[in-house]
Amino acid sequence: MPAVEIRHLVKDFKTSLKRQPLRAVDDVSITIEAGEVYGLIGPNGSGKSTTMKALLGLVVPTSGTCSIFGKDSLKVDSREDVGFLPENPYFYKHLTGAETLEFYGKLCGLRGAVLKDRVSELLALVDLEGARDRRIAGYSKGMLQRIGLAQALVQEPRLVILDEPTAGVDPLGSRQIRDLILKLRDRGITVFLCSHLLEQVQEVCDQVGIIFKGKIVKSGRLQDLIAIEDQTEIILKDAPPELVAEIEALVKRSGSAEWLRSGKPRTTLERLFLRETSGDES
Amino acid sequence: MTARKSIPFSRVRRLAVIAGHAFTQLVRMKVFYFLGFFAVIGIASNFFNLPQQSGPEALGDNGMDLLRLIKSWSLGPMTLFSVVMGIVSTALLLPKDVEDRTLYTILAKPVPRLDYLAGKLMGVLLLLFVSLALMDLLMVIMLQVRLSIVLEVQASLGQSRGWDAAAIESLRQDTLAQGPTWALQGAVAAVFIRSAIMAAIALLISTFSSSTLFTTVVSFLIYFIGHFQADARDFYFEGGEAGTSAASRYLAMSVSLVFPDFQLFNVIDAVIQGKTMQLIQFVKLTLAGLYYVAVYTIASWFVFSDKEF
Ligand SMILES: Nc1ncnc2c1ncn2[C@@H]1O[C@H](COP(=O)(O)OP(=O)(O)O)[C@@H](O)[C@H]1O
Ligand SMILES: [Mg+2]
Repeated sequence: MPAVEIRHLVKDFKTSLKRQPLRAVDDVSITIEAGEVYGLIGPNGSGKSTTMKALLGLVVPTSGTCSIFGKDSLKVDSREDVGFLPENPYFYKHLTGAETLEFYGKLCGLRGAVLKDRVSELLALVDLEGARDRRIAGYSKGMLQRIGLAQALVQEPRLVILDEPTAGVDPLGSRQIRDLILKLRDRGITVFLCSHLLEQVQEVCDQVGIIFKGKIVKSGRLQDLIAIEDQTEIILKDAPPELVAEIEALVKRSGSAEWLRSGKPRTTLERLFLRETSGDES
Repeated sequence: MTARKSIPFSRVRRLAVIAGHAFTQLVRMKVFYFLGFFAVIGIASNFFNLPQQSGPEALGDNGMDLLRLIKSWSLGPMTLFSVVMGIVSTALLLPKDVEDRTLYTILAKPVPRLDYLAGKLMGVLLLLFVSLALMDLLMVIMLQVRLSIVLEVQASLGQSRGWDAAAIESLRQDTLAQGPTWALQGAVAAVFIRSAIMAAIALLISTFSSSTLFTTVVSFLIYFIGHFQADARDFYFEGGEAGTSAASRYLAMSVSLVFPDFQLFNVIDAVIQGKTMQLIQFVKLTLAGLYYVAVYTIASWFVFSDKEF
């Protein structure tokens, strides 16, 4: 049974009385198998958040159906196995980080020692143990995203839905969040995320869908979508120039392939930034 | 596999969680301390004019007037405080969750929308209950203190003037009726019920309005309609006896099905005057309160269950 099944979802929003309704989502179908990380990418206003809200029953589809592990999204019990991190999440200012997680845990029926352990475990997972007893009002953007992620995971759902999890977060925080997503994947949790930050999606997703003006314009396995089928990459370390010249000559002599270029690959600015700020050799 | 599955999921517990959360949220909003502070001042100010009034004037009507005054000065701020707080805090809760998008995170958990609404309302009611209970305690202590002073003065004055025992006893009974009685507790319960009804009305209005101000204003309008509809109805029926058709009676009936008829709560004034509250009156009030709170909560649910955010 797929973790997520969205079939021919259409969502119209009424704008004003005179004008015709705005079609935010137009015949979108997405299937996500259990254990996959699916990235929905598209520019702002293309219908990503609306698709996710329909899947969570927060908006009612104009037509089409959504289900989570086979349960209809319009029913409350479909939400038992899902966690949601909304776009720019904000939590109750008067609660501390630990109280926030306790509150959401209790809503899911956890209590007692189980809840306590779960809260500590989650705070450790999202690296917020130091801020455990601080009020949410004083949290930074990155911390809010991480407590939001912890909140989404509180009842150990098999599916998490993340709406722009790294938007507005600095590179370090964004790295942490991506590492968390990879950790979730390793644990076999299905992740459905959306973003307009393409490189980040590229790094964590197995499957991607590109949505534009409410329509899915392209979808499939990430590796298949971005592979350049007729090219092959060879990366060498400490290669002397003579060796490179020799290989180039070999390729030319063989006649069965074309030598395109050689040179030094560039690290990304992000990697440079992370190396300089954290000493991390990633 | 998960802990959640081994524990039976209880709806009552979830309601308690939401209510408890709303309660703490409200308590931590300092604005309510401010309101409560005023009510306490209002009640405590009764202490100040103690010396002048406890002299010989405490005999007879003067002593009883004093007790009446304490009751009306206590129940007045309690009414004001509970109605304002019931309306304003309910009107604050929902728009705040929508605005901060915390509502998404709650409704994305397995929480039925009815539970969310009912939980919030119960949180407000808990806050009202606790603050009214505190004010009630304060009022009862004050009344008891003054009552014993008044009784003492009456007894000694009565004896020195050579009244017979029956007269003294009858005055004593009259005075006791002005003290902390069960009827007075009934009146406090009535204050609570009225504020609970107003909170439920504010809940209903806030499901279709997104602004706290609008909700507050409309709720107060309904509060006043609730007070005047019975007057208006009486005036209409008495004025035009001949023209009173069945249709207009049904109209009046249906108005009172939707708008609460606060005429019932005039019993509070009667209690201040020292009359007792019949058990049947109390039962009636409680049933009316339950009816209106249930109707408004269910109506809120109907509006809220189709809402998109
Ligand atoms: N509640 C709403 N009422 C009216 N229009 C909406 C509502 N929510 C979203 N929209 C519109 O639907 C379109 C898609 O929005 P959204 O799903 O938030 O896009 P994205 O998340 O991809 O940025 C936008 O044009 C937006 O203005
Ligand atoms: Mg969005």
